Amino acid sequence: MLRIKNLKCSYGSIMAVQGVSLSVRDGELISIIGANGSGKSTLLLAICGLLTTWEGEILFKNNDIKGMSPPAIVRQGISMVPEGRQIFSPLSVMDNLKMGAYTMYRKGLKKQVEDDLEMIMEMFPILRERADQLAGTLSGGEQQMLAIGRALMARPSLLVLDEPSMGLAPKIVEMIFSIIQKLRQEGVTILLVEQNARAALKIADRGYVLETGKMVLQGSAEELLVDDDVKRAYLGKDYGNFCDGRN
Amino acid sequence: MQQMKNLTVEEKNQLKLERLQSTLNRAYKNVPFHRNRFLEKSMLPENIVSLSDIEELPFMDRSHLGLHYPYGLFAVPLRDIVRIHTAPGTGTNPSISGYTKTDLMIWQRLVARSLEAAGVTSMDILQINLPPGLANWGRDYKDGAENMGASVIPNSPLSLAKTLMVLRDYKTTTLVTTLAFAEQLMEHMFENERNPNEFNLKRIVLVGEPVGAEQIKNLEEHLHVDVWLNYGLSEIPGPAIAFECLHHCGMHINDDHILPEIIDPVTRISVTPGQTGELVLTTLSARAFPLIRFRTGDMARFSTNPCECGSSLMTMEWLPERADTMMIISGIKISREQVTIYLKDALGVNDPKCKLEKIRHGGTEMLSISLVIDDSLFSDEIKNLEKLMVSTSERLAELIGVTVKITLTEKKI
Repeated sequence: MLRIKNLKCSYGSIMAVQGVSLSVRDGELISIIGANGSGKSTLLLAICGLLTTWEGEILFKNNDIKGMSPPAIVRQGISMVPEGRQIFSPLSVMDNLKMGAYTMYRKGLKKQVEDDLEMIMEMFPILRERADQLAGTLSGGEQQMLAIGRALMARPSLLVLDEPSMGLAPKIVEMIFSIIQKLRQEGVTILLVEQNARAALKIADRGYVLETGKMVLQGSAEELLVDDDVKRAYLGKDYGNFCDGRN
Repeated sequence: MQQMKNLTVEEKNQLKLERLQSTLNRAYKNVPFHRNRFLEKSMLPENIVSLSDIEELPFMDRSHLGLHYPYGLFAVPLRDIVRIHTAPGTGTNPSISGYTKTDLMIWQRLVARSLEAAGVTSMDILQINLPPGLANWGRDYKDGAENMGASVIPNSPLSLAKTLMVLRDYKTTTLVTTLAFAEQLMEHMFENERNPNEFNLKRIVLVGEPVGAEQIKNLEEHLHVDVWLNYGLSEIPGPAIAFECLHHCGMHINDDHILPEIIDPVTRISVTPGQTGELVLTTLSARAFPLIRFRTGDMARFSTNPCECGSSLMTMEWLPERADTMMIISGIKISREQVTIYLKDALGVNDPKCKLEKIRHGGTEMLSISLVIDDSLFSDEIKNLEKLMVSTSERLAELIGVTVKITLTEKKI
């Protein structure tokens, strides 16, 4: 579905992504893990058209999306749940969801939008309860559900999630990840960027590890979960406790 | 195998490129040897933007493994290594390879993939009989077969009679061994009037050396089995780099984990598919011990016709000739240079004149060395000379992993 080859992104003289290749196949849940500043979010910005200058190749359903505007990319089928939710705080929950269906309205698919709204409300019952409430008054977890719901309103073929656990309590994170897992089971293809590597890999099919803009590891989630490099850097394994003098 | 079957050509090439780039990034970052070779070429890993760009990188060979003995080529800290294997190497040092937990997990799957292609299932009883020099592979086959749920009789040093007893009484269905041992077993059975019908053996997986059609036919007809070939290296990463499927149309290379090239051994330039050349391998998923453009010395050619099994894995034919001077005895590669260096040091002879041959003695393959006796070796005491030859043979056998017989000769070789 998504095929990236040799992507290079820079901010001025700083190379944030250095020749990264990555792919997402139909129905897969792919996790990208890495520390702060590893280039994860930059990668997503390039995919979603929010970063305009980059080198390399991004093919989505075999179409080159280089130079496409963000709305055009949404129309191609990529929808993003941005880092920090970025919901429209002064608007109601319902209006936020309708904003996600912007491209559908333009196509005159009003009936479809109504059906999708109903589907989202069924998926996240709390949003139905809060439908008329201002989005800015929702809790962190509810805002994340709203951000996911808003992205799903565009009926994406690929849902891109940037740090969905950020700033949420552990219980809420668990709930958000079970929602992501459920979406995957329903056939939504997902690209997930996440600092909570363990939670991300537990629900993923495959994973990629980015380090200072370079892809240093990739493999099945099962392989990455037992990888010592990954454990040490991202899963909080404390080697100091039992390191016996070997380097 | 199944997973690969579902991938389109573009998806498979993308997967290989992703794995290659990750491997090169890790090798550059963690292994000074690899980093320096990039820098010597004024290159960085990100300059490799397609699979064919690998041709820009320099080759490695067995001498590099000995030179960086023991751990100089490892790409992870030692604390991440869970298994260490030793191969004889080509010089004074053996070559050492290491595996992380993830490496072993992947390798088990690849071995299981090769066994499945030979028709092995969880209902099979698999017996492993490999010489001490291939003991590492014995462990890999054990792990791979256990991974797929088959019952395993691990490699253990048994006499021929005892091996035959286990084969019959334990109802072994699959035997993993070398050609030399399979032929020895067959001869022993017929000499002792054991009818193959007494056994449950259905297939033999042969490892260690290329085997001719006549030899395969001979085994199949006498033992009423199917014979399958597996290709591996003792250096990387193990025994099932390539394997035959049910159609016996050549050997499928696990090219989703190991990138193969075939080059002209003299010009070092890639040959076109169908042409014969030296097999060069690059690991795509090895964490601990990445090898980049490793010259195997084995001669092969890529098949140009797709296999009927529908696998998207590349197929090659493994040929008996070699691109280097190594000999294969009981499936173990022996470096002539290493043997000569050893004799020079052990016997204190500057330039030992000797002839190395593979011989069979009592059904067992061994290395025969005819050594020209000169003044520096000569002793009035025959007993002393004999003692020296016996101890040298024993120590050399320990180094290279096969039995050695040294005979002294006055003739020029």
